[in-house]
Amino acid sequence: MSIIHAEKLGYDYVQYDEDEGKEPEIVHAVRDVDLKVERGQFIAILGHNGSGKSTLAKHINALLVPTEGTIYIDHMDTRDDDSLWKIRQEAGMVFQNPDNQIVASVVEEDVGFGPENLGVPTDEIWRRVDDSLAKTGMIAYRKHSPNKLSGGQKQRVAIAGVMAMKPKCIVLDEPTAMLDPNGRKEVIKAVRDLNQSEHVTVILITHYMEEVTDADRIFVMDAGELVMEGTPVEIFSQVEKLRKLRLDVPQVTELAYELKNSGVDLPDGILTTDELVHNLCEKEHPIADSRKLEDSLQEDTAKESENQAQPQQEDKTAESGEPGTMALEGKTAGNEEPLNMPREGKTAETGGQESLRLEHVSYVYSTGTAYEITALKDVSLEIPKGQFVGIIGHTGSGKSTLVQHFNGLIRPTSGHVYFNGRDIWEEGYPLRELRFHVGLVFQYPEYQLFETDVIKDVCFGPKNQGLSEEEQMERAREALRQVGIPEGLYEKSPFELSGGQKRRVAIAGVLAMNPDILVLDEPTAGLDPRGREEILSELDQLQKERGITVILVSHSMEDVAQHVDRIIAMNKGEVAFDGTPRQVFSHYKELETMGLAAPQMTYIMHALREHGLHVDVNASTLDEARRAVLQALKEKTA
Amino acid sequence: MLRDITIGQYYPADSVLHRLDPRVKLIGTIVYIISLFVFHTWGYILGTVFLVSIILLSRVPFTFMVRGLKAIVILLIITMALNIFLTPGTYLFQWKFFHISREGVVIAVRMAIRLIYLIIGCSVMTLTTTPNKLTDGLEALGQPLKAVHVPVHEIAMMMSIALRFIPILLEETDKIMKAQTARGADFESGGMVQKVKAMVPLLVPLFVSAFRRAGDLAMAMEARCYHGGEGRTQMKPLRYESRDFIAYGVLAGYLAAAIILRAVFHW
Repeated sequence: MSIIHAEKLGYDYVQYDEDEGKEPEIVHAVRDVDLKVERGQFIAILGHNGSGKSTLAKHINALLVPTEGTIYIDHMDTRDDDSLWKIRQEAGMVFQNPDNQIVASVVEEDVGFGPENLGVPTDEIWRRVDDSLAKTGMIAYRKHSPNKLSGGQKQRVAIAGVMAMKPKCIVLDEPTAMLDPNGRKEVIKAVRDLNQSEHVTVILITHYMEEVTDADRIFVMDAGELVMEGTPVEIFSQVEKLRKLRLDVPQVTELAYELKNSGVDLPDGILTTDELVHNLCEKEHPIADSRKLEDSLQEDTAKESENQAQPQQEDKTAESGEPGTMALEGKTAGNEEPLNMPREGKTAETGGQESLRLEHVSYVYSTGTAYEITALKDVSLEIPKGQFVGIIGHTGSGKSTLVQHFNGLIRPTSGHVYFNGRDIWEEGYPLRELRFHVGLVFQYPEYQLFETDVIKDVCFGPKNQGLSEEEQMERAREALRQVGIPEGLYEKSPFELSGGQKRRVAIAGVLAMNPDILVLDEPTAGLDPRGREEILSELDQLQKERGITVILVSHSMEDVAQHVDRIIAMNKGEVAFDGTPRQVFSHYKELETMGLAAPQMTYIMHALREHGLHVDVNASTLDEARRAVLQALKEKTA
Repeated sequence: MLRDITIGQYYPADSVLHRLDPRVKLIGTIVYIISLFVFHTWGYILGTVFLVSIILLSRVPFTFMVRGLKAIVILLIITMALNIFLTPGTYLFQWKFFHISREGVVIAVRMAIRLIYLIIGCSVMTLTTTPNKLTDGLEALGQPLKAVHVPVHEIAMMMSIALRFIPILLEETDKIMKAQTARGADFESGGMVQKVKAMVPLLVPLFVSAFRRAGDLAMAMEARCYHGGEGRTQMKPLRYESRDFIAYGVLAGYLAAAIILRAVFHW
């Protein structure tokens, strides 16, 4: 008996173009979707931004009614007005933005909102509220204001609010997109628990492949159509196809896929580290094609010598440190290279010229009141020209406060900030000028777009710099080109663009000021996998083309490991680690105590080593990991 | 100046006044305001005694109540001056065309007392009642207005949502302002016209964001079966306790005393 049953479901809407004379366009947001979900299943829907998955989700809750075909929720047709409230009660919905779905100013009252609407008697509302809060682990926060909760907690409140309506099925529309890694884990765990203990059918829409590896079934959408359907293994075996659909596969799967292509004997669709370890360490002959392996290793060495020989040197030092002994040595680890050394020779070329320096910077919020919070504590650091720096830290570790010191938006409570050797808080320092040199892109920068068309918006910065109109346009065009916005969009309203495009226009708005340093706070938050990768590689490009310093604040260890030269890890307002990605991630155990983690590759490497495969445990990117495994396999068989 | 307005600010404390039903407090406030306009002369002694005992009962520091007065100081001075100088009657003082009359002084003082007591009285209510309870109370008391098609429930719902989103929007304003400052926007210098122009990059995104949030919230509420006040139950319905009835009794006695003082003794 299916709880959700869609037949030839289609949803069209008419888009009116602002330009006169154009025919209104019919957009097929969803078309021809046949879908069956059984009671108690854990279903995942994947698809890039704009693939129609949110539109589909809204049909399950009868927020949208199909223009073609039919969808039945527990045998009720969503077109039938009489069953509308029954459908919405049975199929609850959790949305992306945690702030915009909480109605009440007290947690427990918000959870009670649904039952109130259903006309549940007061005593029963209280029972349900208690029960739902307990199931989502939020009972301790019942009297709190939602504004004081973290993103993950807010989403759990939203889930509790849905649970209090006693639904048979919960639809979660990208519930983790706006959360940090810990918040994501929290929410996914809550959802999984509900699925297992309460047998609630779960439909999870997400961009994070790791969250869906143990789903019962996965549906993949593209351009409004259901293009793939199957178990996680079936879906994730098709790496190439998923990539074409602008999607990812879990990191383990990707590594296994790459290894297989290099001649290692592995099955398709490996989803967990355990499976990979099992297949690599316990087989007699893990190498299927030793020629291929040899070739790909040689290819790597060729590429490497083209670049530089330095990484290998590092390998040796890293090798000498056993994973277990590193745990508590902290910053004073004796076998480390001096921290602060950039990974590659880039800074050496520019002579290690200093551009930004912080000396003993501390910052205290609301000084002198009961709410005093020390956001930064005695931070000293130097960022030389041309570096690609990653700043990591869990929410509330002070990283956002830190970057606002870089361009003088915040004045430190004590300590000094120097830009090119001058104290930016000394009398008469042109602070406004500084902001043109140190460009800061805030989180969700698309929310600050305001002009009538794209190019005008990008011109805002240059205009404030007092440039001539031609210069403004030239700067704007150059910036837009670099972030990959096609010329056809220049005259459009920024509000008409897709999420990813808006984001890039906003970044271009800062880039057009020609900053020496570009600081980005979570530039990839909320984007789909391909969108994330596009922005990051554009940053890579920028850093190389323009030779500017890029400072990237990020929650994603994978992104940071892949792109930056140097990582600054923040914890409780202090700099906990500062060094190359390999150095910093070698302290993965300490990072964990700070609510951070190493990239998944690092964990895979450690697991392999524990099971006897002698790999370089400090490999943190896909490429490094692949090379490390191949090397180890070769040594093992030799 | 916005920060000085105490109205709408809750001061958490554990007092009888905090525990009273919001409906009692709302009606009490109305009764008190009426009494202030009933009193004419010495009756204000009773008004003062009542107000002081309420303040003592509330356990809210007196400074919090007075804070609300800052906002009306200018209004108070202007109206007092106008009354003093422009009311005709027996002149106490005369210089060129300035003159102060006895009647003027009496009216000015009475008006000042009324205004100050009124503000303090309202502050006591808002300081001891959470915004949520206040909306609940307003909704409950507004029920009769439904007969004349006033959407009482909807208004109360809008008020409570506004209360929830004010801090979020304030934070957002701050963020957008910083973001535009980072792009070289200047919100401080320049003349009036320039300042207004500089607000565009702040206000447009703020409005867009407010509308987006409103749309999202409306959808989330609909998804949770919200369909107006019809057939809705309450998680925390207002229930009268015995202390509420006692409070009503005290209020009735107070109002009666005020009317008797005025009607019989012409106070």
